[in-house]
Amino acid sequence: MSEMTITDTSTSGSSSVKRVPASLRVLPFLVALASPLILDNISWNPFAGWKILVGFILLIVVGKFAWSTAERDPDNPRLALKLWHRPDQRALTAMTCMGLVAIPFILGTDFDPPMDFPWASWFRIVNYIVLFALGAGAFNLLAGYTGQLSMAHAAFLMIGTMVGAHVGLIWGQSFWLCLPIAAVAGAALGALFGIPALRLRGLYLMLATIGVHFIVLLGWKEYLVHYFGFGGVRFNAPNLPSWLHWVPGINPEDGEFLINTQFRWFWLNLTITTICLLFLVNVIRSREGRAFAAVRDRDISATLLGINVARSKLVAFALSSAMVSVSGCLLSYYNRARSEDSFNLEQVLDYGIIIVVGGFMGIQGAIFGSVFFFALPMYFEWMREELPFISDIDFFSRYAGEVDLAIRGILVVVVLVWRPDGLAGLWQAAKNRLLRQFQNSQAGAAQ
Amino acid sequence: MEILASTFFDFGINVQLVVGGLALGAIYAVVALGFVLVEKSTAVLNLAVGEFLMLGSYFGVAFFMERQTNFFVGTIVITAVMALFGLVIHYGIMRPMVGQGFFAIVLATIGIATVIRAVVQMRFGPLEKGNLTALPTGTIEVAGTNIRWVDIIVLLVVAASVAGFLAFYSLTRTGLHMRAVASNIEAAAGVGIDPDRAYALTWAMAIGIAGLGGVMLGHFTPSVNPALAAIGLRAFPAAAIGGFTSVGGSIIGGLIVGVIEQLAGGHLGTKWREPVAFGILFLVLIFKPTGLFGQKDLERV
Amino acid sequence: MSNALSIDELSVSYGPIPALKNVSIEVPNGGFVSVLGANGAGKTTLVRTISGVLYLQKGKRTSGSIKFGGEDISKLKSRSIVRGGIAHVPEGRMLFPHLTVDENLRCGAASRRDTSGISETLSEVFDLFPQLPPLQHQQAGLLSGGEQQMVAVGRALMAKPSLLICDELSLGLAPLIVRDLFLLLDRINQEGVAVLAIEQNARIALRHSKYAYALEVGEVVLEGPSAELRENQEVQDLYMGGGGDIREAYTAIRREVNR
Repeated sequence: MSEMTITDTSTSGSSSVKRVPASLRVLPFLVALASPLILDNISWNPFAGWKILVGFILLIVVGKFAWSTAERDPDNPRLALKLWHRPDQRALTAMTCMGLVAIPFILGTDFDPPMDFPWASWFRIVNYIVLFALGAGAFNLLAGYTGQLSMAHAAFLMIGTMVGAHVGLIWGQSFWLCLPIAAVAGAALGALFGIPALRLRGLYLMLATIGVHFIVLLGWKEYLVHYFGFGGVRFNAPNLPSWLHWVPGINPEDGEFLINTQFRWFWLNLTITTICLLFLVNVIRSREGRAFAAVRDRDISATLLGINVARSKLVAFALSSAMVSVSGCLLSYYNRARSEDSFNLEQVLDYGIIIVVGGFMGIQGAIFGSVFFFALPMYFEWMREELPFISDIDFFSRYAGEVDLAIRGILVVVVLVWRPDGLAGLWQAAKNRLLRQFQNSQAGAAQ
Repeated sequence: MEILASTFFDFGINVQLVVGGLALGAIYAVVALGFVLVEKSTAVLNLAVGEFLMLGSYFGVAFFMERQTNFFVGTIVITAVMALFGLVIHYGIMRPMVGQGFFAIVLATIGIATVIRAVVQMRFGPLEKGNLTALPTGTIEVAGTNIRWVDIIVLLVVAASVAGFLAFYSLTRTGLHMRAVASNIEAAAGVGIDPDRAYALTWAMAIGIAGLGGVMLGHFTPSVNPALAAIGLRAFPAAAIGGFTSVGGSIIGGLIVGVIEQLAGGHLGTKWREPVAFGILFLVLIFKPTGLFGQKDLERV
Repeated sequence: MSNALSIDELSVSYGPIPALKNVSIEVPNGGFVSVLGANGAGKTTLVRTISGVLYLQKGKRTSGSIKFGGEDISKLKSRSIVRGGIAHVPEGRMLFPHLTVDENLRCGAASRRDTSGISETLSEVFDLFPQLPPLQHQQAGLLSGGEQQMVAVGRALMAKPSLLICDELSLGLAPLIVRDLFLLLDRINQEGVAVLAIEQNARIALRHSKYAYALEVGEVVLEGPSAELRENQEVQDLYMGGGGDIREAYTAIRREVNR
């Protein structure tokens, strides 16, 4: 309904816009979502090529549909406030959703792919990408949007882990209870540790939060020794609640469905990350989010505009910490083991590298950055093992880890020097060019 | 965590801890000096200080352990090579990045740190090396307690080089120009000082000093290993006491942090060393952001 | 009389926006010239162009030349320009706030090669500003506005310039202090240093200078001996806030400009 009023008031009123009822527009997404169900009921060979074909056809159909229904009026200021207002954005989102939904089904039969499946181990990397995209996105809310450089985010990963360990193992509660508690604890402590930000800024805040990090680290070590001994914590695999067992593809054994494979984790991580990142994107678009940006750009002027700067800062700290804490809890359960040395300052710096290399402004940057961060070493590994010239060089196989580290460092510097707006900026530029070409060709066709 | 009353008031142990702390603090002071120098004049937060320190230590391994170089020759060569490295960083990375955000430049230093760590591990392997032994070992008895020769020599070398640096920085014309650029770069350009040259010099000196500190550290610690880089983080509490703007203050800050840390480690247990050092950082920043010696125009809310 | 500085048909633009259009200004050897103009007239651009720091603001000289002592300086770096004998007192003083007064002054001599003469010049500057010696070891950032401006002028003199450019000397200072500073400029001028004063305060600038130019939206709209300009009705209306209908005078000048 609201969309209708927006198009009515839009001034350009381009005639090529086709209106499709909202209910109909949802249909392809529903079909896409239901496709595994449909495909699953036909008995099929997991490696048959036709399945991939079906996946791609679905992708194209949804993409085209999203494209054709979108309003082609990127200059409309009211549309600018909408999440996905441009045709390319919609198409891309639709394709991404489709792709993410389709990947496991294209690759495997159900939630339990055969272990000898060639790409199954790659899903470890995908899982890390997803989890770090969540952490880095949350970090970006604070560092990028609100301009508060907090180095205490490893401490919040730690707090999420502590909650997971205490609620899940000591109190014996369900894993699903740990997540909201981790969020609440992270938010509360985030607001507490955000208090220095009311007095300090920039470099000084950054260093004060490094102080916070080391103090919380001591707390973690004491906690670990007190409750779990020097060996560290071992988490058990979470059990999917029974009311979700009806979902197709889930085959409970003895009434239990443990999340203990890479595929199953991928689903869980993806769901939680998507929810959290969508929430973040919406926070940024809200009044609160604009207050964050005002605080970043000029906090004194923000005060004059009637923004409660102290409140904005603390809310940003609380939100960001809550999400990092949730990702910490997930990460710990996913990793199974956590010890004294599991958390260090480098993790925060990793988040920093992810968002700066990916692009400071936007959740997109966090996703690009974590792909860069995790997929690249994977790619190098593949090159080392498979490419004929490189695999012959003894040096690379002997110093594999170091070479990766060095390449990563060099790439970070190169990206920063050469492309300050990060990979997201690069992507944006490429997309704008494509879009312009597309529009030009359309204009040419119209004449 | 329990405090051992018997050692807490033991004079001999305390003297040993304080002297050890002063030597350690001297190394921190050197790191903090390099850090503050760069931060103050180029507004770059150099998070790679620890890696430069570690690189200095490993250069020490290459020179003193593998080649048996004379201590003085080796130290001078290492400092010079590191200074050259500082020039490379300025002209290769920092100058093209002028105008970019604070955090982006910080991360570039982290990229540098990553590369250094990787290269050091390629060349020297991930395992520990023994400590450097180009200095006389053994102890000397002062006032009834045994004090390591190494501690004393480290203190003296550091004191001499810091004094030399301070003399250069505050008395010579070039030092004056470097301070002018640090104070107001536009005005400096206006009176005919070349800011680029001053920056390059600042980087060279800061990294050279870190290399010197690394050599000293290599003699001081029980082993040279990649984890030495973590010591670079101690530059922050030391610099905070100096208020991040005072070169002299950061040196005193380094000594204070070294002594307090050594005392905390000796009496409370080693795991307290980091939290105590960074607790100081936190408290100083919250209650006296200008540090004990800082200038007034800090960026505060 | 040969010219110390002669600017010929100079045009400067920031990207597509022109800031100076065919400006010609001459400063004779040992002369005292002032350039008047309101905000946005292009005064600061003029100073930047002469001192070679225009590139910092992404400005570009599109035509014209700047000659100093017969030599083209328009392509030189600021360092060489200062060394060549043009020193300037930047707008808003721009001292080194953390350095002492003494150190600030010594920085002014950064471009000099004859290091032995620096102390001598320093004592000359202290003679010129008797207020400064007692403040020698104070941090410059802690001085009052007038004292800071004196340090800024002194710092420029440390380069032993043959031309001193003062950008908005009167900015933010009390009238009495401004008067003293201009009296000092007179003294400096009498010692043979040419002075180019870029000023918003036309009244005092015209009283002290011998020749004056008025800039308006990047163009020289009036020029002449200062004494004559002081009597000029338009100048009085525009820059001195005296009688008459300001708007009328302004539109008259605008018409002139547009023609």
